[in-house]
Parts: sequence; C-alpha cells; structure tokens
Amino acid sequence: MRIHTPPDLAYPLTVTKLLCSAGDEVEENGALFGYKYRAKTAVWDKDVRENVQKELDHFADFESEVEGTILSLKVTDGQVLRGVTLVAEVEEPCKHEVQFGGMCADCGKDMNTVSYSTTVKNTSRATINTVHGHTALLVSQAEASRADEEAKRRLLDARKLSLVVDLDQTVIHATVDPTVGEWQEDADNPNHEAVKGVRKFQLVDDGPGGRGTWYYIKLRPGLTEFLQTISQDYELHIYTMATRAYAKEISNIVDPDHKLFADRILSRDENGSMSSKNLKRLFPVDTKMVVIIDDRGDVWSWSPNLVKVPAYDFFVGIGDINSSFLPKRPELEARPKQAATTDEQQKDDKPNDDSSDTSTLEVKPDEGSSAAPSPASTTPSTPPAANGEVSAVDRIVSMAGKQDDGSMEERTQEQDKTIAEQFADRPLLRKQKILDAAEKEAEASPAAEVAAEMLLGDGESKDATLAEPSKYRHNLLQDDDTELESLATSLRNIHGSYFEQYERDNASLLQSSRVNELKNSKAGSKKKSLDELERIPDAAIIMSALKNKVLSGVHLVFSGVVPLGVDVHNCDIGIWAKSFGARLSDNIGKRTTHVIASPERRTAKVRQAAKRGGRVQIVNQNWLYACFSAWTRVDEGPFRIHTDANGNGKAGDLPDEFRDAKSGEQLLSSSDEEAATTEDEADESGTGTDSEKPNGVAARGRRPLGLDTELEDLQQYAPSMERKDSSPTATEQEEDWGDIMKEMDDFLGSDVDDLSDTESIKTGAEVPLDGSRTPSSQRKRKRDAPAGEDGTGGAVGESEGEGGAEGSRLQKRKKEAMERTTSLTNVQSVVSLRTATPAATAEEGGGSSGGGGGTGDGDGNAAGEATGWEGEDDLEAALAAEMSREDGDEEA
Amino acid sequence: MFFVKVLEHTATLHPSFFGAQASEFIIDQLYRDREGSNTGTMMIIAIIDIEDISEPKIVPGSGYAQYNVSYRAIVWRPFRGEVVDGMVNSVVNNGFFVEVGGLNVFVSKAMIPSQLKFTMEGATPSFTDGTEQTVERGSQVRLRIKGLRGEMGTMYAIGSIREDYLGPLLQ
Repeated sequence: MRIHTPPDLAYPLTVTKLLCSAGDEVEENGALFGYKYRAKTAVWDKDVRENVQKELDHFADFESEVEGTILSLKVTDGQVLRGVTLVAEVEEPCKHEVQFGGMCADCGKDMNTVSYSTTVKNTSRATINTVHGHTALLVSQAEASRADEEAKRRLLDARKLSLVVDLDQTVIHATVDPTVGEWQEDADNPNHEAVKGVRKFQLVDDGPGGRGTWYYIKLRPGLTEFLQTISQDYELHIYTMATRAYAKEISNIVDPDHKLFADRILSRDENGSMSSKNLKRLFPVDTKMVVIIDDRGDVWSWSPNLVKVPAYDFFVGIGDINSSFLPKRPELEARPKQAATTDEQQKDDKPNDDSSDTSTLEVKPDEGSSAAPSPASTTPSTPPAANGEVSAVDRIVSMAGKQDDGSMEERTQEQDKTIAEQFADRPLLRKQKILDAAEKEAEASPAAEVAAEMLLGDGESKDATLAEPSKYRHNLLQDDDTELESLATSLRNIHGSYFEQYERDNASLLQSSRVNELKNSKAGSKKKSLDELERIPDAAIIMSALKNKVLSGVHLVFSGVVPLGVDVHNCDIGIWAKSFGARLSDNIGKRTTHVIASPERRTAKVRQAAKRGGRVQIVNQNWLYACFSAWTRVDEGPFRIHTDANGNGKAGDLPDEFRDAKSGEQLLSSSDEEAATTEDEADESGTGTDSEKPNGVAARGRRPLGLDTELEDLQQYAPSMERKDSSPTATEQEEDWGDIMKEMDDFLGSDVDDLSDTESIKTGAEVPLDGSRTPSSQRKRKRDAPAGEDGTGGAVGESEGEGGAEGSRLQKRKKEAMERTTSLTNVQSVVSLRTATPAATAEEGGGSSGGGGGTGDGDGNAAGEATGWEGEDDLEAALAAEMSREDGDEEA
Repeated sequence: MFFVKVLEHTATLHPSFFGAQASEFIIDQLYRDREGSNTGTMMIIAIIDIEDISEPKIVPGSGYAQYNVSYRAIVWRPFRGEVVDGMVNSVVNNGFFVEVGGLNVFVSKAMIPSQLKFTMEGATPSFTDGTEQTVERGSQVRLRIKGLRGEMGTMYAIGSIREDYLGPLLQ
C-alpha cells in the first residue's frame, strides 16, 4: 500500500529523522519518520503576564496506517513536505481482498476497526458481491476479475455460456389459491386433469396466520427437457425476485438432483435492489458470456443480453405472486388475456379492503351481460379503464416507496396481503363458478378454462362462440406449448454462433501468435491465453446481430395495440420489436411494411394500409410474438387480419356499446383513436363538424360542439374526461378547468351570448355522460334564440323537441338544484331577464313542459343558471358533477 | 464451547395477562424468545431453569408490567482458535461456507491447503485433491476459527483448514 501524508497536517513539514528503512517490518501505527512543523501556540509570557500567541516548532512522528514490510521510503532527512506526499510503500501481508461478515477472510482480522491514522477504511477494499447466496461475502475488484477470468476459462473449456433464468412466469407459474389443491384431490373435477402435474410445497414463515402457505407450482410444458438440453450449452443460474426459501423449493422441484443450478440461486434476499435485476450482481466484471431469459424486460432495463420470453400464465388471473417487489408492469401486456389478469392483480394489490369486493362486482355483471363463455375474454371490457388509474396510483406509491427507507417492509406487507387475498379470495374457484354458469348456457364442455388450455381441440370448438379476445387465448395456448422448444432453439443458436465466432477469432489469433510461439514458446502461449480472454466475443453483440436479422427491413405501425397515452417507442412491445431489428413509426408511410392491428377494430390506419393493397401486411400482434419466439420472420398468412378491409370499409360492424366502451378505456393510442373516430364519422354522417363525434370521445364531452375555434383548441387540451370519471381528484380538476374557461371567457369579452356559450361548454365538460346531448341542445338553444326572440316558448320548444327531451332530465335536476341554492340568483336573474331569457325560455319550455307555454318559472331558473355561474363556479361544477353521476347511475 | 450461564432477561407483560398465571406467561415468553436465539457473542441452546422472577413493575405511561427474570441456560460460545466441526453449506470459487450450529463460517481459499483445488465437475462445485479429500456441499468439516465477529442476531467467523488434522472428515 502506498502511504501518503493526510491532507489535514500542519504543512509545511520538515522531516527531521528517518525511523526505519526499506526492508524493515512496520507495525500498524508504527513510526516511519519524525518531522517538525511550526504552529502558533499560546505561551505564557512573563513580561506581559498573560498568554501570547507565538510561533514554535513542534515535533511529531509520522505513523504507518498499515502493518507490513516497507518496500521503499520516499522521504529523506531534511526534506520539506508542502502538501499531500507519497512517503512510503508498504507491502501488507494481507490485502483483505476477500471479506466475510466484516472480517478479512484471509487473515481473520476485523475490518470495521478504525484507528486514528486510518485514511482508507478496510471495508472499502472489498465491495463486490459475487456469490449467489451470501451477501456477507465481499471481494475486491482485483479478486473479482481474477475469479471472473477463472470462470470464463472454465466455461470456454466446457464450451458453455452462462444463462440467467427467471422463475416466476418464465419457467413456472405459481399460485397460493387453495382451490388448486382441492381440484387435485377431486378426480371428478373438470380441472383435475389439468392440475395433475401441479407440484406443491409449503413455506412456513409467511402467509396468513403464519400457519404456512401451500404454493402450487405449474411447470411450463417441456421444462425438464428444456433444462436438460440447455444445460449442455449453458451454465444455469436462477435469478428471482422471490424469497430464498421459495427459490430453493422451486429449484428442488425443477432440479431435484441439484445438477443444473447447484447453488447458483440468487433471490431477492441477496439482491441489492428491490425493483430491478442487475447482471453486475452476478457478473461484476463483464457480461460477455451471459444470456438472460426473463418474462419482463423492464426489470433488466432491457439489457442487450436479455431474451424476453412471453409470460407463462397458467393459473388465469393470478399473475406473478412475487411481483409486488417489481415495478408494476408499465402497461398492459399486449395480449388481452394478460391485460385482464394483470389488471385484476393490480386491483387486488390495492390496499383498501373492499377492493376484492369491487372486483367481484365488476366481473359478475360482465359475465351476465356479454354471454361469453370465458371470463378472461370478458374482463378486458371493463378493467382497462381502471388500469390506467390504478397503475398511476401504483406508480406514485412505488415512487414514494423508492424514496422511503421503509419501503422494503411496506412491500413485504403488500405482498403478504396479496398472498392473503389470493388465499382468501380463491380467484380460480370464483372464475370456475362463473365459467360453469356461462358454459351451461353455451353448452360447451364443462371444462374450466384451465382444462380448456390443455385441451386444444375443445378450445377450437369453442372458439367460434368466443368473443374476439379469446382468440388470443387460443393462440397463447399454442405458444405455451412450444415456447420452451423455440426458446431452446434460439438459445442453441446463440450458443452456436457465439462459439463459431470464437473459433474464427481464435484461428486468426493462432496464426499471428505462431511467430511469437516460435520465438519464445512459454511467454507466447501465456500471452495468447490472456489475449484470448480479452478477445472473446460478446454475447450481447451476437444476440443483437441475430435478433436484428429477424425483422430487419420491417417497418411497423401499431394500430389499436398500444394503450392510449403510451409512447410506442417506449412500450414493451415496441422496445421488443425494435430489439429484433424492426423500425417503428407512428403513421403509415411509404416504407411501412406491416401494420400490427387488433382484430376487433378496423382503425383508420388499417383502412389506410388496406388502400395500399398488398404492399402493407395487416397482421395481429401474435405475428410479432411468433417472430419473437421463433427468432425468424414467420409467415404472415395465419396472422393476417382485416383481409376484407378496403378503403371505404366501415367500422360499423361492431355494436356501438362495444366501441364506446373500448374508446373509453384508452386501449388505443390517442392519435389512432381520434383518427379512427373522425374518419368513421366522416364516413357515416358526412356532416363534419356538426355531429362530429357521437361515440366515445365526444360523448365524454371532450370536444364540445359548435364552439369558437379557439375554445375548441383549448378544449382539446383539457384533461380527458374518461380519466377523470374514476379519479378521486376529478372535482378539483374540473374546478381548475372551470377557472381556465372563465379566464378565457373574460379574454373573449363578456357579453351574455358568449357567456351562455361557454356555459354550454362547461356543462359539456362537467357532465361526462349526458355531455353529448347537453351541449348540442344548448347550442341549438343559442342558435334558435334569435328566431324565438319574442319569447314564444311553444314554437321554439317544439323545434327543440328531440334535443331538449333527452337533456331535460339534467335540466330539471339543475333547476331543482338552482331553486335550492339562493334566492339572490333569482333576483339577479330578473335583471338579466330581458337579455338572456328568450333562449332560456324556449329551452325550458321545450325541455320540461314538452312544448307547453310554461315560461314562468323556467325563465328565472335558466337565467339564474346563466348568471349564477359567474359567482358560483365551483359550487356549480360540483353540483353538475354530482348530478351527472346520479344520471349515470340511473342509466346504468 | 458450551457453558452453563446465568442470564438476565427483561420481559414485559400486557395488562390483559395480569393474574395468577402472569409468571407462567412470562416463563413461556422467555422460552419462546430466548431459546435458540443468538446474542451476537453466543447462542442460547437451552434454558435449564428459572432462578428468579422479580416483582413486576408497571412501566410508566404504558400499563405493561415489567419482570426481570434470571435464568440458567446452556450457551454455546465460539472462541478464536477453537476447533469446531460443521457442515458445508455451499461451495464457491473463493472458498466454502460452513454452518457450525448458528455460526456462519467462511473458509477462504487462502485457508485451504493448496492441494485441494476448486472444481466444477458435474456442475457441483467442490474443493478436492482428486483422491480422498473432497469438500462439497453437505460434507462434514473440522476447522479452526480464525476470526469472529458478531452482530445482534448473527455471528460470522473465518475458519481455516490449513493445519494438520483439519479438513473434511472421512465418513
């Protein structure tokens, strides 16, 4: 160790004498040399009879902070040191490169002791964690690279690579739902066949009541063979976010002889981070020979070494039981089935106790309304709306959690809760019951979806009756069966091309080093082996090259696949596709080769693509997944959708409620949605602005009609109403928006006409459900106003007929509310009666009394509305929101 | 090394347990909490008997009663330089881990005789000299403790088998 003078000495120092010489042994804190320095000190002065500051020489010894043999002493007698100087080199008997539990593993010394002369903490010499199962063992950088070199040599000799394997949803699927156990016992149960192969084990320390929870483990089909074959080419490591005990049990199941994984298991107990996995934890020096398989790319920050595997979802609706430690899935997994399950999972994760109740409630009506036989196929129609919501909340929670030191505990609790909920809720049993009921009607086989997953033929026969999403299920099943096979093939390919390249590099290296070898055989060979290690190919580069070939030249446009508000380039499927060499763009251009669309929606992009004839392939996501898992560009044929689509195709082949529901759920990217709907409208009504959007978007009042263009523009940027519907902050946001509108209003000038205009916007914005009607009726009111100037309510009321009738319920409620508020508004309204009433009268007359002459009370209230808003914006907004909610309830 | 030691324990009791059986609760709690626990320097193997339970005191501000219990227990305390037997827990390239009761011992490569080499034969890592001596997961090892360090609840030790009569025990 090189010993420097510490920076906090009283420089300049003058070396007075050397206390040892090179070759001497020195103890810790043993003196190396003596020195003197000058410093001011308070000295008793006899003459002035008090202390005075005086510069004096002080003498001290410089001590070595470590023990060892002095290699060289860099100072000479009389030398003046003016700053931090290297004074000696001491060879330590032990460099403390391996430390265990705060002790040096080589000499047994306590590394935590700090003496006054210590400048470098002993513990900082070894900071790298290389061993799978122990956090207490730390090594130094040098030691780590030595070990790494050794490992590489061993792997190269065996012609193997390292493979890091994730457990949950990659090679197995686990649940704690006790239903599985019952099904296993009961030979008559339709699921008996399917759950036969499910293994179980009990962990005592966690779970409800501390009694010990049974975990049910389903191995991915073909796992044993997969591991056997792949272990010939790879050294296998387990890297999981589950507990160590859990990981151990799993490895006992998948690898009973401990031949495959041995002790190479890394669980969250040893992982430094709670939310991400890091290759550096296992391979601190370099990752050139490492391949990862995992079902989640985000936890690896999309490491180039990663082979992302489609998630294995056997127990439908369970998800990953250890996922509370990972960041929430940033989006719906593009498959509808996944969407449903993760969604439910997230809902269950919600901390409030009634969450399970609501989820049950939500599932059941669905089953009733759309008589689809599979719960998985129906759930997507409701939850995604909540999904954005929940994940937003979760994101905040997880963000807060990251900052919080107690997050670990928190998350453990969260996970315990999830497990407890799953334990108590028995989601599988619930689904089975629902399924049974539904299938009685459908007269399909009573097999549960789990059974259906196994029995493909059955699934096929049902397929015709299933709603669209279930088609994915069917495809997914096939994937499940072959996923590990194709994964094994691609892993073998990686291995093959890796060692091919290695051989090639080696051959050329051998040539060049032959000369050296002739000259000096020993040194040459040594040098060669060093070079060899430095020059080994990088698996990440090879994988990228292999992957890039797969979809090179493919230009993708996603349509109806990526959730609204998610950047295509940053979403899972987008990143995944890009890693395979595909290019993404937002809109269809000249170079677009494929449109990845959802089969149930014929979006504008699909039609646009169809116009281009055969040049653009329109396929569903499963084509991408097939490419991803096969690592080749598979034939598009079976995945082609919308083959009958042509440029003039209408989107009307779907029931309106369905589309409404869909558009409200933010399933689509926003541009998509808007483009799609506007074009639909243009097709269907051809009237352009007037009835711009009768479906989803407009119905939520996102873009009220017939406004000044400025207002309209502004309105576009308003927070979208779909989101607000379920948001707890909805009312606040509305108020904010109301304020903005008011400001805008002032800016535009405050004559009454304008005012009523903006009012109508507000009602549109505040009343998500009736919004589409109210604005239009009010707009009409405004337009009709000049016609009915005299206040002949009857005539105008009749013309108002259709528009007013529907809006009337809302109007009536408002009226009632107004009557309840304050009489002051009524007084005010009398003042403004002359200006504002004609329209209002017409409106009220048409609305409430059905064209009768009931102008009297109608007047005051309508005007009251107009004026009241000026002062009571907030109250009004709250009222309107409440009313709309009630309305919605009634309608539902 | 094993000792019989008199130890003190402070236990608190919730008011709902006050009554004739209070001291039984306290003894129960003592057995549950202390037996098998690790103080950082020693491990309490078994409690032999209770020597004395003090008069309870109410803890100001909480209502809990506090008892001071002194008890005799068999404890195990490892010392530096002691030779102990243990079972190998896992083998890694720079050494192996041994469980000696509640004590985690790491034997690093520097503490292993040089004829024992690290191998990964058959995917099971082991230190072996190729003939009769093999250290792998599950084998019994006799070692000397070279360093000891305790934190509350855990003890760590560095071990050595680089001496005569140390190393894997021949079964």
